[in-house]
Amino acid sequence: MSEETKTDEHVAFMSQMVNLDYKIVTSPVHRHFDEQMREGRIVGHKCPSCGLVYVPPKGFCPRCSVITNEDHEVEVKDTATVTSFTVVTPIQYQGQKERDEYVLANLLLDGADSSIGQQRIEGIPHDEVRMGMRVKAIWATPDERTEEGGGMRGWGLTSAVKHWEPSGEPDAPREQYQEHVL
Amino acid sequence: MAAGPSWTLEFPYRRSLGPVVGEFFTGLRDGKVLGSRTKGGKVLVPPLEYDPETGEAVQDGFVEVAETGVVHNWAWVNEPLRKHPLDRPFAWALVRLDGADSSLLHAVDAPRDKVETGMRVKIRWREERKGHITDIECFEAV
Repeated sequence: MSEETKTDEHVAFMSQMVNLDYKIVTSPVHRHFDEQMREGRIVGHKCPSCGLVYVPPKGFCPRCSVITNEDHEVEVKDTATVTSFTVVTPIQYQGQKERDEYVLANLLLDGADSSIGQQRIEGIPHDEVRMGMRVKAIWATPDERTEEGGGMRGWGLTSAVKHWEPSGEPDAPREQYQEHVL
Repeated sequence: MAAGPSWTLEFPYRRSLGPVVGEFFTGLRDGKVLGSRTKGGKVLVPPLEYDPETGEAVQDGFVEVAETGVVHNWAWVNEPLRKHPLDRPFAWALVRLDGADSSLLHAVDAPRDKVETGMRVKIRWREERKGHITDIECFEAV
């Protein structure tokens, strides 16, 4: 509102802040997933029909139209393969917290058959990030794992994982992740 | 339903005001209320560019009206919302300022049993004004 505080100029603009306050009601499946993330476990559901593992769990297998629940819960690893990525250049709009370029990636977790999105990659120059690169999760300390980081509605993780760093393993062969490239 | 995470989506709009509302808001910032005068001689507060009765452009220039007026109509708000101008029960009112022929919608800060049609009110100005309708903090009983 700084442009409106000058005292002798003609008023030509007004600021109007529109706020939409969301209270996300997560499903029991995602709530359980978020709780497990805060415990340091990444879990998914393994379809009893086709055997695919969905992380985060959906509560059903979309291919088989089968309901899944905690009986089908499996834990997957906190290591993963980068299936695709982008280097984000943050535009300085109001509320933007990022200042410098950063990398977001889609990851195929070891033990999962579905990829997760929006995962931050750190610890490597941006021009060295590549498809097939192996990464490991860098977990937040337990008191940093807030409920506010949850509610990703099935397309990410939670604040429990801060970011991912190269694990040092050799790159995964393309056949292992090519079905998951977005 | 269990409570889940929350977040706020914000749209910080910056709206251009035009020659009439811009002048009106400039006046509010300077502590005066301006109206426009129709060709028929009626004073419109807040000012409009056109006479709502005839569609004709109003006369050039603005006229200043008083900061006192009369409540013409009102509605009581028992539980103010977060963005309402007052954080206690208040009345939304159409106030016809002395010297004006139309009414301005604003809040009246008065007890429920004091608010009535015909009530005399005056502007309570905000101390730090910036050229916005909220430069009028509210109306209060004279």
